[in-house]
Amino acid sequence: MSETSLAIINARLVDPASGHDGPGGLLIEDGVIAQTGSEIDVDAADAVIDAKGCILAPALIDLRCAKEPALTPDGETLDTLTAGAAAGGFGTIVLAPNARAPLDKADGFAGMNRGLAKHGVNVLSACGATQGLAGEQMAEIGLMVRGGAVYAGQGDRPIADTRTMRRLLAYTSQFDIWLSVRPADWALSDGTVALESDWSARMGLPAEPALSERIAIERDAALAELSGGKLMIDRLSTADGLTALRRARTRDQEIAATVAVAHLTLNEVDAGGLDSAFRMDPPLRAEADRRALVEAVTSGEIDAVVTDHRPTPFDDKGEPFALAIAGTMSLETALGAMLGLVHDGQLELIDALRVMTSGPADLLGLPQGRIAEGAPADLILIDGDKPWVCDPDRFHSARGNCAWAGRRFQGQVLQTLIGGVTIYNQKA
Amino acid sequence: MTRAAFSYDFPHRHLISVADLNPVDIRIIFERAAHWLAVNRTPDKSSDVLKGLTVLNLFFEASTRTQGSFEMAGKRLGADVVNFAVAHSSASKGESLSDTARTLAAMRPDIMVVRHSATGAPRFLAERTGLAVVNAGDGMHEHPTQALLDSFTLAQHWGEVGGKRILIVGDILHSRVARSNIGLLNILGAEIRLCAPPTLLPSDVDQWGCDVFHDLDEALQDCDAVMALRQQKERMSGGFVPSAREFFHLFGLTHERLEVCAPDVLVMHPGPMNRGTEIHTKLADDPEKSVILEQVESGVAVRMAVLELIGETIRRDFDSREAGQ
Repeated sequence: MSETSLAIINARLVDPASGHDGPGGLLIEDGVIAQTGSEIDVDAADAVIDAKGCILAPALIDLRCAKEPALTPDGETLDTLTAGAAAGGFGTIVLAPNARAPLDKADGFAGMNRGLAKHGVNVLSACGATQGLAGEQMAEIGLMVRGGAVYAGQGDRPIADTRTMRRLLAYTSQFDIWLSVRPADWALSDGTVALESDWSARMGLPAEPALSERIAIERDAALAELSGGKLMIDRLSTADGLTALRRARTRDQEIAATVAVAHLTLNEVDAGGLDSAFRMDPPLRAEADRRALVEAVTSGEIDAVVTDHRPTPFDDKGEPFALAIAGTMSLETALGAMLGLVHDGQLELIDALRVMTSGPADLLGLPQGRIAEGAPADLILIDGDKPWVCDPDRFHSARGNCAWAGRRFQGQVLQTLIGGVTIYNQKA
Repeated sequence: MTRAAFSYDFPHRHLISVADLNPVDIRIIFERAAHWLAVNRTPDKSSDVLKGLTVLNLFFEASTRTQGSFEMAGKRLGADVVNFAVAHSSASKGESLSDTARTLAAMRPDIMVVRHSATGAPRFLAERTGLAVVNAGDGMHEHPTQALLDSFTLAQHWGEVGGKRILIVGDILHSRVARSNIGLLNILGAEIRLCAPPTLLPSDVDQWGCDVFHDLDEALQDCDAVMALRQQKERMSGGFVPSAREFFHLFGLTHERLEVCAPDVLVMHPGPMNRGTEIHTKLADDPEKSVILEQVESGVAVRMAVLELIGETIRRDFDSREAGQ
């Protein structure tokens, strides 16, 4: 079904990389964007899509999602993961290490990455920074970077030991990759399931103070300055942490920061009914934190928004809140949730898309995430107003743990193209 | 006021949090508990108000006192009482709580009495099974029947709990007994004081409608009742408090310290006691002041009242469903 040339015209073209938000179209030749603007010669194209009323944007990029370990019975496979990603508008996803799939073994890493390459959606992988993500012994990061790892991460487990963190930052600096670590002071956060607040105290939940994040960011930023490593704050979630990030950046340090969709669109009140679907790591925060993070997206202080998509077996959410495993699926709901912020007037569309396209692409040096001549034709067409209801039974995945289940969204992906080829068509 | 004086049926199918109760509900529970307290002192204790209903005691945490109290309450009311100690059965085989609950629910019990180490487990079970659930303690969250029996014991002495000054002393941070008591005493209009070292108080405790103290002698001024909490031994060795003996010298209840209280101050403890850690052994055994054993007696009566009232709701719901068909 590949076309040698395809024109998309009459769209509202939104390209955060160039700052363009206005009428426009483009011409794709051999999987690459050959021309952009409003003067597309439709007669020269083999096929034409009239995108009147639709938003045309770069396909989304997710730096942090998870697949269940291979061969998990009735679990999410690479096929269901990528199908869900395509339906959610993602053209590139990065499998990040987590406790179940720590991605900490160099053996077979390159082979795994070659296997990931053929699923329509670009699937990249990060590698575990420490063996078993225990935060003690370094994993073979260099070999895994050679095998295709795009950054080194630590899952939900911060590096508790300061000396280990210093060495990791120093060691990874030679490969010029990001070391992505959850900002939490482990002595304060280990074993907790909620933010320390009036609500969690009344509920008697083990809780962490918000400044656990601030302490960790201040420590890690200081160590990055000392060692020259590239620190990525993995899922900033509090206003306190944001303040620490700003302070570190005044020292002219190269520090990246991501935020999970959940922390931009939900708060601890959503978990008030103790529904296990809202058990997250980091835990959901106060509304003031959420608002501060949304404002930081607008101001450009957040480099990337991640889905932190995590499919979970039924049994692991079949426990009360405090015992349930953390995480939510969100590849298919991330754009809907972000567009909710746009419709509510909390965020401009171009800012919402920047942190899901050119922002993450620039962190990894990817050619995707922009609508520019010569860039890969990884694109999405969005109906920005279409109402729909999140029904996990209709997800492509076999799993259904989703914090947005039952939510009403406005705005949905109509079509996802990778290298000019349509891999998802909502009408099909 | 007797029940005949107003037209109101106890509306609850569950007892999960004291916050679900209003002052009238509490009055009804106390009135029925007073009835059962009297019956329990006669040689003819058995009744058939729960005949035909099955009460399932589902204890995921070891408990002898609370479980025994519920078992006795259920049996005296004529219910079939079944004890499931889940720690030793399916939970250790890796089955999720959701599946365990649905399996047990399929055996058609009527009331589940649940104790679990996680906040929210009783509500979770109520939602997943549709059965009537009584919370017998969930994590650090709530232990509503303990709070009811504590206030009931005080009401037996005073008539009303409202307006009295009550001090809770000890590990508030980890205590579900304290959380439920604070909620209930607030509903009843008592003046609540809390006293503990800062390491054993929640960070937002000043928002709980209580006066907070770190000095016991100051806290005890003019109190009408003092409730000591059980101190967990593992928290008395340097993590939260340097030692049990330091805790006793700073926060332990003694006859001498109680002299600043109201003259007929009552001393309470939810049990089991650590004599010489939170309370002086002589004070614990002083029949003039200590109502600790009365609390245990009230416990059976209050649990009978709760099970009876929930049983009535179950029957009423069933009848109205039948009538609707």
